[in-house]
Amino acid sequence: MENIIEVSSLAKVFANQTAIESVDFHVKKGEIFGFLGPSGSGKTTTIKILTGQLTPTSGTAKVFGESVSLLKKAEYRRRFGVLTDNSGLYGRLSIYDNLKLYCDLYDVAYSKIDEVLDAVNLKQEKAKKVSALSKGMTQRVTLARALIHEPELLFLDEPTSALDPTNSLHIHEGLRALNEKGTTIFLTTHDMYEAEVLCDRVAFLNKGQIQLLDTPDKLKKSYSDSTITVELTNGEKVILPAGSEGANRLFEYMNTNQVETIHTNEPTLGDIFVQVTGRKLA
Amino acid sequence: MMISLKRMNAILQKDFKDFSRNYAVSIVIVIPILLAAFWGRMGADSIDMHYMLINMTFGMVAAFVQCCLIAEEKEKNTLRGLMLSPASTADILGGKSLLTFIITMVVVFFSAYLAEYKPANVAVIVVAIVLSSFFYIALGTLLGLYSKSVLEASVIVMPVIVIFSFGSFIAVAAEKYPILQAANYLPNLQLIELAAKVEAGAGFGDVLVEFAIILGWVIASIFLTVVIYRKRMVD
Ligand SMILES: Nc1ncnc2c1ncn2[C@@H]1O[C@H](COP(=O)(O)OP(=O)(O)O)[C@@H](O)[C@H]1O
Ligand SMILES: [Mg+2]
Repeated sequence: MENIIEVSSLAKVFANQTAIESVDFHVKKGEIFGFLGPSGSGKTTTIKILTGQLTPTSGTAKVFGESVSLLKKAEYRRRFGVLTDNSGLYGRLSIYDNLKLYCDLYDVAYSKIDEVLDAVNLKQEKAKKVSALSKGMTQRVTLARALIHEPELLFLDEPTSALDPTNSLHIHEGLRALNEKGTTIFLTTHDMYEAEVLCDRVAFLNKGQIQLLDTPDKLKKSYSDSTITVELTNGEKVILPAGSEGANRLFEYMNTNQVETIHTNEPTLGDIFVQVTGRKLA
Repeated sequence: MMISLKRMNAILQKDFKDFSRNYAVSIVIVIPILLAAFWGRMGADSIDMHYMLINMTFGMVAAFVQCCLIAEEKEKNTLRGLMLSPASTADILGGKSLLTFIITMVVVFFSAYLAEYKPANVAVIVVAIVLSSFFYIALGTLLGLYSKSVLEASVIVMPVIVIFSFGSFIAVAAEKYPILQAANYLPNLQLIELAAKVEAGAGFGDVLVEFAIILGWVIASIFLTVVIYRKRMVD
């Protein structure tokens, strides 16, 4: 499968601070790729390099098969969309007027505005002035703006960090639908739940390096300790190994009607992150 | 470089709506008009007086407004969005300059009308004023790109307003202090020089030197602005 992003030995050193050191990964066309890491781990820096807003100190970064320095060309800019914490909106203008400007900049029909506002649940609000919106609403407008030209590749830097669970869920559905229509999504988050439900593959970023990269499913399986937890009717919790010994004991509990609940003990991505990096995500 | 009228117009429309709601900045356009009405009543009609007003308009409207508009785009991170879109440098800088240019022309026209300035050769003066405005707009853009916030911008643009508005005082001082002779090449003083010649009956052919010097300032300031802008595209 074709790679839409290819990064190798990428490093960015600021005056007195190494933001990322030697990062390697690729993103396949059509996937949702998650960059998971605590704050300060270099997520935003990576997105800025990949969108041509920062020059890397060393290493190579290619988007659409071309070096990121070529992203200055209009023909490439049309093909990606970005949402970062430095994506500003015009506060004195309405939501609609903000998006209208972007329709003109990207040669998109104004009819697209209602469509994207629907996707972020803001259709009723479109006449509202942006400065009067809550943080979460502003974030949704910014997201709508990043989507308006139906980019092939979407960079989302913590897209739901300011949203309540209901809106996050709605955005997740929207992003999945967009992905099914063919948009590749590169997403950063420190929300392991978001990474788990949304991403085809995740990379764990810690202190400027990728420490683990795989599908959430494989990660969870390989870090699972192969046990199950059985809660008994008397309130006791017993942990059983997945082998025949565990099966016999489980049979015994079930046979005597002692079982209240059964859970497999696969770790969450958050658990794995702590285990691998020794750091918490949030 | 490709220029898209559609994109420039979109930026102009957006700026117009935004500016008309931004009273802290838009208020400055009434100052030259009020002064002009006042001077018109007093019957002050020397070339120096008229051009103090016109150069003040260049400083307060062309440079100041442009500087604040650009600085706000930077402060609010909206310039980044324009830069990441398919809009070219010319679309963005041109679009961002259009509103300031239109407002400057309107204010110059009204203040000249109120101050009862009737140039002997309107065509020459119009070309000179349009050309000069490009310099001030480029200067405003440049200062806006340098400042981190609107507040900072409104402070660093002050000396520009003072230096360029009170150009005729510099010319007087230059007679005493030869070191200030160089100041005679400033675009504001060249404009006054040009206007004085026009009143004395000069046509296009007689003021080519003044035009050339002003044009030199325009080209230099636009060149510098584009260079700085391109640098600001990557952090
Ligand atoms: N412009 C900058 N100048 C200096 N240091 C920076 C700059 N941008 C980011 N950094 C540093 O680089 C590191 C990574 O930052 P960032 O990429 O923003 O992390 P994240 O998005 O994962 O929270 C941090 O330690 C941050 O302080
Ligand atoms: Mg960040």
